[in-house]
Amino acid sequence: MRGRFSRSMFTVAFAAAAASAAISVSIARTSGQTPAAPAARPGRVAGKPNFSGIWQANNEANWDLQAHAALPGAVTQPGIFPYDYARVPAAPVLALGAAGAVPGSLGVVQGDGQIPYKPEALLVKKGNAEHWIDRDPELKCYLPGIPRAMYMPYPFQITQSTDKIHMAYEFSNTARTIHLDKVAGPPDDTWMGHSVGHWDGDTLVVDVTNFNDRSWFDRAGNFHSDALHLVERFTLMSPDIIQYEVTIEDPKVFTRPWRIAMPLYRRVEPNMQLLEFRCNEFVEEFMYGGLRKQQLVKHWEGETMSIDITRKVPPGDRFYDWYGGK
Amino acid sequence: MHTRPLTSIGVAAVIVSVLFLFRPTQVTVAQQTSEAALKTPWGEPDLQGIWTDESDTPLQRSPRYAKQEFFTEAQRAELDKERAALLGRDKRVERGTELDVAGAYNSVFMMLKHTGTRTSLIVDPPDGRIPSLTPEAQQRAAAEKQFRLALLQATETCKTESVACSGGKYDPTPSPRFSELSSRYNTARMNRHNGPEDGSLMDRCLTGGLPEFGTAYGGSFRRIVQTPGGIAMYYDVGQGQGWQRNIVMNGSPHLPAIIRQWFGDSRGHWEGNTLVIDVTNFSPKTDFLGSREKLHLVERWTRTGPKTLEYAVTIEDPTVWTRPWTVKEEFTKQSEQENKIYYEPRCVEGNYALPSVMLSARMADRAFAEGRGPDPAKSDNATDFVGVEEDPLQ
Repeated sequence: MRGRFSRSMFTVAFAAAAASAAISVSIARTSGQTPAAPAARPGRVAGKPNFSGIWQANNEANWDLQAHAALPGAVTQPGIFPYDYARVPAAPVLALGAAGAVPGSLGVVQGDGQIPYKPEALLVKKGNAEHWIDRDPELKCYLPGIPRAMYMPYPFQITQSTDKIHMAYEFSNTARTIHLDKVAGPPDDTWMGHSVGHWDGDTLVVDVTNFNDRSWFDRAGNFHSDALHLVERFTLMSPDIIQYEVTIEDPKVFTRPWRIAMPLYRRVEPNMQLLEFRCNEFVEEFMYGGLRKQQLVKHWEGETMSIDITRKVPPGDRFYDWYGGK
Repeated sequence: MHTRPLTSIGVAAVIVSVLFLFRPTQVTVAQQTSEAALKTPWGEPDLQGIWTDESDTPLQRSPRYAKQEFFTEAQRAELDKERAALLGRDKRVERGTELDVAGAYNSVFMMLKHTGTRTSLIVDPPDGRIPSLTPEAQQRAAAEKQFRLALLQATETCKTESVACSGGKYDPTPSPRFSELSSRYNTARMNRHNGPEDGSLMDRCLTGGLPEFGTAYGGSFRRIVQTPGGIAMYYDVGQGQGWQRNIVMNGSPHLPAIIRQWFGDSRGHWEGNTLVIDVTNFSPKTDFLGSREKLHLVERWTRTGPKTLEYAVTIEDPTVWTRPWTVKEEFTKQSEQENKIYYEPRCVEGNYALPSVMLSARMADRAFAEGRGPDPAKSDNATDFVGVEEDPLQ
């Protein structure tokens, strides 16, 4: 899939930069996609760089903001050897094989790569990691919060006007509006924060406040309190790359401000559009399956969930059948 | 469950005696000047802002006003007076009854707005009524109603001939239909809570969608943000049923038929100063008055003044209605500075009701099995009671 797209990604990127509709049309045709003219967007809106379009991070930050080696599973258990590096996938992900594993990363935390937790907060973070399935709001399809929504493995769309910059996220069908004009804040704490922007030259700077303490930064249990304050910086490095940096401050949880940074990439496929990921329907079984009159997937004893996986590999699909055995 | 304007279908059709007149389209110099100001800096019509319909207009025209497209000023004043009085007159049914316990809503939760100028949101057909259902849609609706009534037949609701049982009859023996599935994917509440799918889409935080005409609970706001060649909308409707739309404006065809969405697939283009959006690809899990995956909308958004935006939507589904019909609303721009549009909480983050309903159903099952409680099939856990008198406008 990716290989097939690489050529058209380059040519379409070129088309997006060019203003000519004629070029756009001819390129759409050669890409072999639906011959819809890619939107030729002007380079600037009201004199400022135009971030409009569909973007997506292409990294492992949603697994863990910090550097980490690849893991055999999103959930693991002790293996034969008593070492952390010798753990094996645990039941919730075992049947998925390598698709249930976690890719490694050099991390996106700037400076020394450490997240400066207060000692008591570090204990909470470790507990979060151990109880990931129970505690991560992503698994319940709750609102992702900022900055996490920016680097989850789902696209998001920026619609940039003069006084407002709107960001719509595919995950959970949520959105935020960045106000460049003066508006009243929300009447209560929020998951997605209250975003107020201004321009620092060609960099969009967004101050985000009014958070609740419910969202996380990643699947590794990194968390914050309702004192979270973000300063985001968006800088267009090329027509198709935004450098995204966030300074994270939360005196209840961290000893000092810290920073993450990553590129965000334009989804340049000519037929790209946000689709729905209305996951609250998807997680009904996960959250309420134990309350069914007749359980479908899981068995529950009170609040204890047991997942029975009976996976009989049919003849012809056994792994050694694959190697010339047919 | 409280989609206010949508509940009173099925009243006899009324013969039209008033012609529907389009307003003459003379454009004065003053209008032309203000039109220029209603463009974005890049020259597209400017639809941006927070918009809502500031008045209440029923979806369908009441037979009482059959011969009128517009209310008279005197009628509006009278309706406003009657409706304002509703807010101070909460009702309760007999205390200690099932229905009283189910009475979660009273006028505190209601948002009554001033009566609008039109007698119906529907402008076509000219009688202001939803067109008649096709025979197949009537059959489907009747079958679904019978199923729901069967699950109520052994309850107090039917024994006391409550309005929720109309069309059904009391039978002390619970219906064998408790073990059946509904005839198609369930979207409405029923008197059974075996799993999430027995709940209504509202109970599951799966409402919110198109077309959107507002409810008396939580209002109906939309924010529009534009960029050259792009339009985003965010809807704040009901109680936390917010959702976003990103209108595809590049002239490409609709999504492939295999992709079905709760909010459909919105593709727009400009016709003069009007944004025309064609919406298809709805999911078979959505339900608008019986219309599901074949629902087709054509929306027309036109900025008509500094504070006003006209919204018209033509609704079509040949498997449900005998002809397309059109609804028109006038939206008023809301204060940017006050910023009164809320993207959250969005229902699911605080949905304790759905698991609670299922949990109490399981407790009732167990109590019955152990001889400690009544047969759950004999209690009504579906009908809710709204402690507000009937709105004379509806």
